[in-house]
Amino acid sequence: MTDSKKEKKKEKISKQFAISIQGVDFSYGENQVLFDVNLDIPEKKVMAFIGPSGCGKSTLLRTINRMNDLIDNSRISKGKILIQGTDIHDKSVDVIELRKKVGMVFQKSNPFPKSIYQNVAYGLHIQGIKNKRVVDQKVEESLTRAALWEEVKDRLNENAYGLSGGQQQRLCIARTLAVEPEIILMDEPCSALDPVATGRVEELILSLKEQYTIVVVTHNMQQAGRISDETAFFYLGKLIECDQTKTIFLNPSKKQTEDYISGKFG
Amino acid sequence: MSSQQKEAENSFKMVLTKERVCEIIAFSVMRSMTYFVLFSAGFLFWDIISKGSKKIFEGEGLINWEFLTEHPQTLHVIETNGTKQKLSSNKYYQLKEKKISKQWNAQIGDEKFSQNLNELGTRFDTLFNAASSESIDKLQKLLLGYERNESIQKFDFWISLMEDTKLTAEDFEINEPEVAPMVSTFINGFFSSQSTRLKLLEKQLLQFKANHFPGISNPNAKIITEIKLAYVNFLELNIHLLVKDFLSKSKELKLRAENFLSKPEPKPLGDLVISYSDYKETKQIISSELEEDNAQAIEQLLSELQVIATVEIPSKDFSYSGGGIFPAIVGTFLLVIGAMLIAIILGVFCAIFLAEYGKSGRFLSTIRLAILNLAGVPSIIFGLFGFGLFVIFLDWNVSLIAGWFTLAIMVLPVVITASEESLRSIPQGFRESSLALGASKWTMIRTSVLPYAMPGILTSSILGVARVAGETAPIMFTAAYAKRTELPWENLEHWTDFFFQGVMALPYHIYVVSAKIPQNEYTADMQYGTAFVFLALVFIVASSSIILRNKLRKKYRW
Repeated sequence: MTDSKKEKKKEKISKQFAISIQGVDFSYGENQVLFDVNLDIPEKKVMAFIGPSGCGKSTLLRTINRMNDLIDNSRISKGKILIQGTDIHDKSVDVIELRKKVGMVFQKSNPFPKSIYQNVAYGLHIQGIKNKRVVDQKVEESLTRAALWEEVKDRLNENAYGLSGGQQQRLCIARTLAVEPEIILMDEPCSALDPVATGRVEELILSLKEQYTIVVVTHNMQQAGRISDETAFFYLGKLIECDQTKTIFLNPSKKQTEDYISGKFG
Repeated sequence: MSSQQKEAENSFKMVLTKERVCEIIAFSVMRSMTYFVLFSAGFLFWDIISKGSKKIFEGEGLINWEFLTEHPQTLHVIETNGTKQKLSSNKYYQLKEKKISKQWNAQIGDEKFSQNLNELGTRFDTLFNAASSESIDKLQKLLLGYERNESIQKFDFWISLMEDTKLTAEDFEINEPEVAPMVSTFINGFFSSQSTRLKLLEKQLLQFKANHFPGISNPNAKIITEIKLAYVNFLELNIHLLVKDFLSKSKELKLRAENFLSKPEPKPLGDLVISYSDYKETKQIISSELEEDNAQAIEQLLSELQVIATVEIPSKDFSYSGGGIFPAIVGTFLLVIGAMLIAIILGVFCAIFLAEYGKSGRFLSTIRLAILNLAGVPSIIFGLFGFGLFVIFLDWNVSLIAGWFTLAIMVLPVVITASEESLRSIPQGFRESSLALGASKWTMIRTSVLPYAMPGILTSSILGVARVAGETAPIMFTAAYAKRTELPWENLEHWTDFFFQGVMALPYHIYVVSAKIPQNEYTADMQYGTAFVFLALVFIVASSSIILRNKLRKKYRW
């Protein structure tokens, strides 16, 4: 295969799928938590991962931007993950560049104990962008996109911990947006929020869909129904079913999926 | 109502079971032990503060500044009419000088005094007139001739001894093989007497001797002849140095004499007397003919004047009991700052490795064990270690830098353990979100772990500060001087010398004044005063770092 052909193939894949997970086995030491997961995540859509606790959905999410590298003895023993056609575990891949492309929002909102401005500008500062005008503009843009600008524009220099829980989580999203990722991974972003704040974050996710590929892990099935285009159901480290969200909720093809959705277990 | 109450009391009445009794006893024991601890601490602080503050607040003014700003000195206690006056050396000599000038000024109008001065002037004139008639060449020739004759005579004598060893052996009543060693001893003796006599040429003489060492230690007639010729040569080459020296001495004497005569005061008189005795010494080498009359008269006049310029103030002297502890305060500050800087830099880097980079395993647990063990090592061992490694092996001598490293290594376990703790207490979320924003590991640590861990690291360092400031054993061999008159920044030839000098330190000073000097009624004051200042300093340093920590904590809250 010549290089140009390779490029074309990559392009083709990237057009269809932002992320392609191919036969991934994953284990923490001796303990295997993912078994032969095959999953394609389309571009500019919201994909929801659902399943009972300990089914490996968070682990899978964290492998997508190699956050699991931090954990000793963890490894992908089989299969590979392609993002826009590139194997992210390839030696030539710089994990820093990968993480700039693939942002992540965590379960617990964890802004740095700095000012709101500093939090959003953090990603730019560590990239060495010092020009104040550029940074100012970027901060405003990100906060606006995260639907937080109107609430905080008068107190950008106050400590981020003065914000409410929902605001903090949106700040974390804004912080991620500032780095200009293409894919955003969200690990139960609303699990620590009250219903009102959850509503705001969900709205935000829906509005972001137009520009970003979003993967959301959630325990809340109604939430998955509200925000996602596609849903993947995991059980005991295996991908049971993945389809259009409507199909999964209304007409699942697997018995286990149906049982879980109807609340028979989990 | 009352009956109900009574019933209630009865139903909840305490029953003294065995367990309850044990409990009561145990509690009272704990309570009394706590009181004992409280009492000991209270007594210690009361003792040091009450006795120490006596030293700090004694004398005129609110604070005894002398104690805080002076060097340690000898204490002179002058007893007049039953009252004791305590003076440190500086003040004692000031007083003395004052009295001398008073006595001197009283003599100025005296007829005999001015007569003496006049005569001294004419005597010196005579001396210098005679001296100026002697040209350099003449002096040189004279001296060379004298020295050459003397030495040639000696060498010839040794040659004659070696030429007929049999006869010599008979003369000296020794065996023939012993002749050569004997002559060797003679020659050696000659050179050492020359070295003491011609002090100025000592180095060159040593060099000469070293050059001819084989010949001198195993002489025969031929070799001695060779040495003789070489020595004559040596004299011709070097004799001008002696003459030059003499000329500069006489020049100095002339200057001093003029100085004194133009303005007769006690201090220039002292200089003049010293200069004269120097001159006399060299003059005796240059030519044995000293103008006897004139010289004797000068000496007589000088000693008469000196009597006027001397005052005896009878005092009891107690070494180390006067003056202050300024150099020790400075030294302690320098030691603490340097050692803590090194310890924090080393310790934080080490802790970062342990907490952030190191993969948990046998290697890491071995390191941890080693660090914990290091914390248990007695401080005197650190002192010996520092002495062996820094002072001797690295040849840093007894110096600030050796003390810094020794103290730093001693507090390292404290700093590392606590820094690691505070690094670990930073929420994992900060790390993850930093990495997820595209930070490299080091950027992550630098920007979103270290700044937030800093308050904790500083807290731990406070413990280190007290320990570094307080330990005596590690600096005993590595950094501390019992007494040093110069402050660390004085008389530096090159700025690096700053690091390679010993300093005084408060804990070591306490040790010195308590154990190394003869004890007297005033040493206790010194000990308590030093201890008080020491406590106050540690308190100041510790509280300022607590303030710094609280400020940082307020800045980073989550």
